[in-house]
Amino acid sequence: MKRPVLTLYCLLVYAFLLAPILVVVGASFNAGNFLTFPPQGLSLRWYVTFFHNDVFMRAIRTSLWVAAVATVISGVIGTMAALYYVQHAGRWKETVRVAMLAPLLLPEVLTAIALLFFVYAIGIGTTTMIGMVAGHVLITLPFVFINVSASLESFDPSWDMAARSLGADRLTRFRRIMLPLIKPGVIGGALFAFIISFDTFTISFMLKGIGTSTLPIQLFDYLRTNFTPEAAAVSTVSIVLTLVVVIVSEKVLGLRIHRF
Amino acid sequence: MTEVSIERLTKTFGSARAVDGISIRIADGEFISLLGPSGCGKTTTLKMIAGFEEASEGAIRFDGKDVVNVPAEKRDIGMVFQNYALFPHMTVDQNLAFGLEMRKIAKPEMLSRIAKVLDMVQLGGYSDRYPNQLSGGQQQRVALARALVIEPKILLLDEPLANLDAKLREEMRVFIRDLQRRVGITTVYVTHDQAEAMTMSDRVVVMFGGRIAQIGAPSDIYERPENLEVAQFVGQVNLVKGTVTGVAEAGRCRVASVFGEIAVDSRANHAPGNSVTLSLRPEAIELKPAGQGGAQGKVTARYYSGSIIDYRIALDSGETLHVQTFPNIRIAEGDRVSVHAPADGFWLLGAAK
Repeated sequence: MKRPVLTLYCLLVYAFLLAPILVVVGASFNAGNFLTFPPQGLSLRWYVTFFHNDVFMRAIRTSLWVAAVATVISGVIGTMAALYYVQHAGRWKETVRVAMLAPLLLPEVLTAIALLFFVYAIGIGTTTMIGMVAGHVLITLPFVFINVSASLESFDPSWDMAARSLGADRLTRFRRIMLPLIKPGVIGGALFAFIISFDTFTISFMLKGIGTSTLPIQLFDYLRTNFTPEAAAVSTVSIVLTLVVVIVSEKVLGLRIHRF
Repeated sequence: MTEVSIERLTKTFGSARAVDGISIRIADGEFISLLGPSGCGKTTTLKMIAGFEEASEGAIRFDGKDVVNVPAEKRDIGMVFQNYALFPHMTVDQNLAFGLEMRKIAKPEMLSRIAKVLDMVQLGGYSDRYPNQLSGGQQQRVALARALVIEPKILLLDEPLANLDAKLREEMRVFIRDLQRRVGITTVYVTHDQAEAMTMSDRVVVMFGGRIAQIGAPSDIYERPENLEVAQFVGQVNLVKGTVTGVAEAGRCRVASVFGEIAVDSRANHAPGNSVTLSLRPEAIELKPAGQGGAQGKVTARYYSGSIIDYRIALDSGETLHVQTFPNIRIAEGDRVSVHAPADGFWLLGAAK
């Protein structure tokens, strides 16, 4: 500990960031009937309640499904947009960037209201999940775009030329050279997209149909009338799910840039 | 093996002519350097040969067949880039295998070809390394191996030594030259370093502003430069003013200058009475203690660099000379000297085009 002040400062920042999570996790193991911290005795009873709660179970499935679909669509569109932006946009580069990042800059509630008008105007409505998925794609797209274009900027065009001189056609060059080299950006962007989608409230709230609540909305609904540790259990499960997604993708797909 | 013929090749970017109607014939197995300052069109020419740039006009023929409309991936060229461009996510082996896989070479042959080429570039045992685990010189050799393993028609090198330190650069010059001779592959080498072009090439193409200033053997370019621009680009040169006093035969004149009246060779035609410029290489000049004939002057500066000593001499006639001698002659700054220049050290320059 050569720099005690800096160390202390860092610890405080971490405490500030992590304390709420620890409180929620702690409160979820509460044996009592009310959401309090420190917990009154330790028990898993609220987890049991949660896992037997059909409404929550349905919401968590909806959330995972929407997040997965939105991530795949966002991943593909965002990667293609980033490719265009870095390699072909030319003098439109700045315009393309601003347009792609617009969903980040606008207040989410405005985007949500606009989308709601839009889905009704074109006749899709909210009876299907299309509107909600479209909304999730819209707000997660910038994260894929930023991550992929950052990794594309560090892609050396001479790698592509080298592959060409060695006889590789366009598709082979994309598959064997470019994709592996921008993979960290694509996966990083997709992870962001998944987490943002899993977590978002406003968009889902406006665009959800009947019986298609996502987890954050169901939790909000629940907390309006109840104040039991079940809410903390729901939050903890949601935190764990997010962590699992991050860790599994990292292990399976390799988020780190390996070896180079 | 392959003969390359470039005919009136032109590349325009908007109204700018980056390459302006150049023609070069490259013999099978020949090592040609494109030499010139940055922006002279040498790299654009190389990229057109490789197929990375489209030619605006003209033809590029490999063994008589025009390849202008053949895409780069089908031209069968081996290319070495300035930054090596090794695929960072592949090992040395995988980098080398890439081009062979594209050609659908069977595994056993692939392995034996890779082993052979790695041996040739003295990197046997490095198969499983990733590029970032290799030094600059090693990466350079892998890049060379990757280009050669596909047994291309021609080898193109784009300033491949520019990122190496001076000592390694000199080693690699010899290494590449020897390797090229052994393989016998037609090679085009782009560089802005005249010493590199001289030591490695069979012939040097000097380019300025998108045009060819001179094509010739290194000794030709150095000793008989086409014009002042070429003379100055390929080495240090002293310019001596003179007047033509007589023309003996085509390309041979008598010229009067501060060094007396001498017979010199030229490529251009001159008439008696013309004011001309003679080039005189610094290493052709001999310095002697004052009063021993020749032009008289004074040493204004002396730079010692081990194998040679550089002097700046102010002649009494007002001209300044740059002289290089071996260190066995010891003359100090401020000494007066006699400057001797043998007639065959001079070359009569044509006017720059």
